[in-house]
Amino acid sequence: MNETMNMDIIRHASAIADKASFIAEDFAQVLFPKTSVIFNDRMRSNARQYLRSVIGQVEQQICAIATDELGVTQDMLQKIANGGEGQSYRVLEDSGLFKTVEIVQHLFIKAQQSELAARLLQKISQQDLEATLTRHLDHQDPVVAEAAMGLLVAQSKTTGAAGEIAASLADLSAEMTYAFAWPVTASLARLSGLSGPQLQQASERFLAAHDESAGVDRKASRLAQLVEQSGTGEDNIPHPMRDGLALFIARLARQTGLTSNQIVTFTAEPNMARFVVAMRAADFPVQEALSVFAALDGGDHILTAATYREADRDRALALVSSWTAPDAYQNAKRILGDDSLGDRGK
Amino acid sequence: MTVSGKLAEPVRGQVDADGMLLSADPLLMRLHLRSGGAEGGPLAVPELAEICRISRRLGMNLSRAAQASDDDCRIDMWVETRFVASDREQPLSLAIIDWKERPYDDSDKIDPARERDFDRLEGRGAIRTDTALRIIALQMPDGSGQLSDAIGQSLLDIYDVIPPSAHARLLEAVAERQPIRNQRMREKGGSQRLFLFQGQPLIDKAGIFAGYRFTAVPDDPEASGPEAKAMTGKLISDNLFGFQLGPALRQPLGKIIANAETISSKLQGPLRGDYASYAKDIASAGRHLLDLVNDLSDLEAIERPEFTVAADDIDLVDLAHRAAGLLAVKASDHQIRIDLPDENGKLPARGEFRRSLQILVNLIGNAIRYSPDGSVIKVRVSGDEEFARVSVTDQGDGIAAEDQDRIFEKFERLGRSGDGGSGLGLFISRRLAHAMGGSLTVDSVAGKGATFTLSLPHRKEP
Repeated sequence: MNETMNMDIIRHASAIADKASFIAEDFAQVLFPKTSVIFNDRMRSNARQYLRSVIGQVEQQICAIATDELGVTQDMLQKIANGGEGQSYRVLEDSGLFKTVEIVQHLFIKAQQSELAARLLQKISQQDLEATLTRHLDHQDPVVAEAAMGLLVAQSKTTGAAGEIAASLADLSAEMTYAFAWPVTASLARLSGLSGPQLQQASERFLAAHDESAGVDRKASRLAQLVEQSGTGEDNIPHPMRDGLALFIARLARQTGLTSNQIVTFTAEPNMARFVVAMRAADFPVQEALSVFAALDGGDHILTAATYREADRDRALALVSSWTAPDAYQNAKRILGDDSLGDRGK
Repeated sequence: MTVSGKLAEPVRGQVDADGMLLSADPLLMRLHLRSGGAEGGPLAVPELAEICRISRRLGMNLSRAAQASDDDCRIDMWVETRFVASDREQPLSLAIIDWKERPYDDSDKIDPARERDFDRLEGRGAIRTDTALRIIALQMPDGSGQLSDAIGQSLLDIYDVIPPSAHARLLEAVAERQPIRNQRMREKGGSQRLFLFQGQPLIDKAGIFAGYRFTAVPDDPEASGPEAKAMTGKLISDNLFGFQLGPALRQPLGKIIANAETISSKLQGPLRGDYASYAKDIASAGRHLLDLVNDLSDLEAIERPEFTVAADDIDLVDLAHRAAGLLAVKASDHQIRIDLPDENGKLPARGEFRRSLQILVNLIGNAIRYSPDGSVIKVRVSGDEEFARVSVTDQGDGIAAEDQDRIFEKFERLGRSGDGGSGLGLFISRRLAHAMGGSLTVDSVAGKGATFTLSLPHRKEP
């Protein structure tokens, strides 16, 4: 063992020692999950891949603004701006800065959306799925047709191949872009040693230039709003095989008053129970509900007509209405109702 | 005005760093003003103000759906914010690229103007708030002080919750979008008047919470007045209903009716069909009892020597339309059409607004009660130099000549029962008409319907 190797293994061992206390914490999360949602290996892999890709794109954009627009001449930043390998993910990965509820929830939604897209592709061909997007292009109302074209364009810009997770900066909401931009800026400042305000200014410019209206989710929400306003008859019942996944989720969200993220989350839960309740609240006819369930189900679960009919619509409406309350309120209510509070909870 | 389509051009506005609406296209300005805003004041449409706040906090442009509502309709919008210049202190530009107005669900909601008439008829105040309990419309009963500054303020900044209730409990009910029942509140500031609030959450068809509509009744207002003090020491006062039984009965009856209606409408959850019918029966019986209490209170009031009425400038055509509007649901339940005078016409008269409306509601209500289903009730107006008249003609059984005086007597039912009447309505109506310097007469032939005519002093318009 030579001296360099010695130093490396010593550094490596110290780094491991620093994190040793978290082993039990990590293992506990695997052994004793708090929800019944199952995260498969593909979801974990997709989430990491997505995060790495988004961080890389944010980093590249900020570096490009800093070097091209603000005249910063720093080797590392210039390399990243020109498409070189990103550095921030490595620094941020272990920092805990990605462990915010906001970011982790976003990663989960993206991973689950990718799951749903993969499940859908087992039931309908990619070609047919793409054809659904053209359905509203010749809508009699030109505003709807224009919004449908907007969604089509936004979807065509996503980078993921069929069944793979798509990571596009344009698809980020303003809040998520903001949440990613500042940790990346801090890591670039540390890595480059730049102490001036240029990196901060570059990030501000990057954020100001971000246009969330170009993203698939926003385009789908707007189209859903317009379609729901003008829809009648069969058109009024959303279906992933007729609308495509993004528009279907946006339409169901709109009909129930829930958010698109909630709908996606429901599809990951055991038996998609809350998803079924949401369809019941939106008054989906039995056959449509069974068909939607089958299209999005990833296991061998079966929703029967009897089960669906037995779900009382009034109760479904009341439940869905309670889920539309602000998250903070629902969380606080759950904690206060928790038996672990004992008498203090009364 | 209703905009039913989408817009070729966005509706635009500009909001400064302090949230002030610097400029706005007419549609946006109308919504802003209806939401309680003022020209040049803070943007008063909560949903838009929230988007502007997020946009400014992040320093980023947003593109989001928003829903706003005013008294007439709900508005679905797609809103985009844009910073006019790179300087974040500069105004934020709002562009609303979709603007779709849709009326509230008629089956669930009473026309706001009609609801206000109900409130005025029953001496109630009404307050409409947004989702954050900010007041966006307010109309309080006479004498409760001017609260024009209240628009835009939180309800809890204007009224104190009276113990044993607490702010927290009220806020919890609001967070859960629950109806609020019999909440005692005290007006802050000079008047310190007490009110009993009832609140209904406004939720649209999509299940989206849009705010609250409160009604406010002065809480036992006369009990602290000089008359109430004068009767101290008497076990039962001369004003039994007005000061003692009336207020004491109204509150529990109100609770019974409200709870029975909640049960029958299945607001709290599913219910067996026959139980819902029982609850409807309870609500109906409760309303009948409440009507009786109100009639007895009125009876007592008009028989007091100090009873007076106000001399408002009223228009009998307008009153006829309002009264018919209040009874529209009842008439439609019996497929009865109310034929009204031309809405554009005018017949000025002098009398107390609330009392005149009360008389007309009584006359048209009786006409509905005693007319066959599918018939027509005609309401006509006429006038001469001295009197303005409004007549209500039904196609019922009519009243025999020998009974025509008796029907204006107290508790006279002409042998009828079980139809929801108390036998006091016409007596009270005639006494009120006389108190206003007018008269109430009947013209009828047995078997050929009846015409009741209210005459009030004519008012010459300047």
